Amino acid sequence: MDWMIMYMPIAGVKIFWPGLVLIGFAVGTIGGFFGMGGAWMVTPGLNILGFPMAFAIGTDMAHIAGKSMVSTMRHSKFGNVDYKLGLVMIVGTMAGIEVGAQIVMVLERLGSVESVVRWVYVGLLALIAWLVFYDYYKATQKKKQGDVGEHGAEGITWYKTLHKIKIPPMMHFKAAGFTCSAWLPITASFVTGVLAGFLGIGGGLIRMPALVYLIGCPTHIAVGTDLFEVMISGLYGAFTYAIKGRIEIVAVFVMLTGAAIGAQIGTVATKYAKGYGIRIAFGIAVLCCMISIVLKEFKFNQAAAVLILGTIGVICAYIVKIMIQGAIEELHEKKSGNATVKAVH
Amino acid sequence: MKNIITIGMLILALVFSVNAMASEVIQGECLAYDASTNIVKVKEFDTNFSKEFKYGRPTANESELDLSNAQIGMKPEPKDILRIAYKVDGSKKVGLKVMNVSKQDLMKK
Amino acid sequence: MRKLQLVVIIGLMVAVLMPSLALAGGDKASALIVVADTRVITETDYYHGFMRYLADAYNTNIVVFAIWCTVLTALYGVALGFLMDFLMSKTGLDLKSRKIIEH
Repeated sequence: MDWMIMYMPIAGVKIFWPGLVLIGFAVGTIGGFFGMGGAWMVTPGLNILGFPMAFAIGTDMAHIAGKSMVSTMRHSKFGNVDYKLGLVMIVGTMAGIEVGAQIVMVLERLGSVESVVRWVYVGLLALIAWLVFYDYYKATQKKKQGDVGEHGAEGITWYKTLHKIKIPPMMHFKAAGFTCSAWLPITASFVTGVLAGFLGIGGGLIRMPALVYLIGCPTHIAVGTDLFEVMISGLYGAFTYAIKGRIEIVAVFVMLTGAAIGAQIGTVATKYAKGYGIRIAFGIAVLCCMISIVLKEFKFNQAAAVLILGTIGVICAYIVKIMIQGAIEELHEKKSGNATVKAVH
Repeated sequence: MKNIITIGMLILALVFSVNAMASEVIQGECLAYDASTNIVKVKEFDTNFSKEFKYGRPTANESELDLSNAQIGMKPEPKDILRIAYKVDGSKKVGLKVMNVSKQDLMKK
Repeated sequence: MRKLQLVVIIGLMVAVLMPSLALAGGDKASALIVVADTRVITETDYYHGFMRYLADAYNTNIVVFAIWCTVLTALYGVALGFLMDFLMSKTGLDLKSRKIIEH
């Protein structure tokens, strides 16, 4: 069993490295599949594996940076970035991350960082779970009513009011196609940045809705701009946590390797997945993660580790199954397709 | 692509220009710490960690380090277990960073 | 690709320049100092040499350590991205028609 334990030179802890690979792989798979950052389970996961919380957050941040490089490189989604908006938001994002990181350092000094971060996480995960289940509820509701009740239209116009606030400097964003006070995107990105820096997440979960509903960005621009922000915030977060001495770089690499493989599987699996059942599974996974953090808070360490690793393992296995099944079918069809073509000729 | 490579090179050059990074680490029990002269006296421990000797076993060596320019976390007091990164400057050991291993519950897990 | 280049450059510049501001803010909040125990990393093979280098950088010059962390993470991310692209193209699956969802 000795070779399965890796010594982390900075944190000075011995870590079960397959656990790290599994977490990375799971984040990649689940993130790729649901199109949602999976980083929310990394920080608690690392913490449960035995990393001190401050190390877990920094390590997670660096891992996000690496992962965002992967997806950025691959999709070159930057075609859809409103650069002006992106640059304005960087100001807020970086300031926010720095503030978030500083809060962590202060809490660490006060000795309460673990508890506070855990409870904020519990809140965030509860929110995610609620969103998922609410979405599902609405979808089934719509099905029942035969798609009559159309809601959502009311929420989307918040930004119209916000655009009326005319605090200089006013700015026009060409690609996104609107004019507003520069303070609107700065404030929105600052808040996201604080949360991202504090929890060690990419923040897309909050930034995306903020971009669309509060700032009034068209969705495709929001996706590109968000990815841009995630990359910058990840790199900056990695740097600032490294300067503060809270990154375990070896763990980052181990996790990234797992994540890169997982991301492929997750993204490919989306091609073959159908139906809403998987969303429910996701909601349940989030809830399990939440319960696991609560267990950890009350010192049931073993139970917490088993629960989170078990949940992640099961949901990953499910996605992998979808992907392999789909891939085999596709390749099979292709082969038989080719065969018929040949037979005809 | 060229630009990226150039920037990468610049960063590497920057990194390698700051090459005087060799330092030693010592861990042991604080015997005395004089806040006015910033000299700390440490009884060195070895790296044979075990259940009874969580921080290693005491050796016969005692070292004096100058902590004037060191980053110090929690203030060292006698009986604390310290881990100190230091550089050797002539006959003097100059402390760079001082970690209060026993008091810092960051590492207790 | 040009735009992407620009973005990467700006990103790197920002990532390199910002910490000076962060440092100016003072290190007071990090009252907990961590020293990497380099005594334990003794083996001399490449892997441990690298570990030792990083741990030394961590102890003596944290800025160097931070630059390494950021640069290596970014580079490793890019390398993995290309490698995975290559591997996936070998599987013969039709990946063009998939829904692209990320982050």
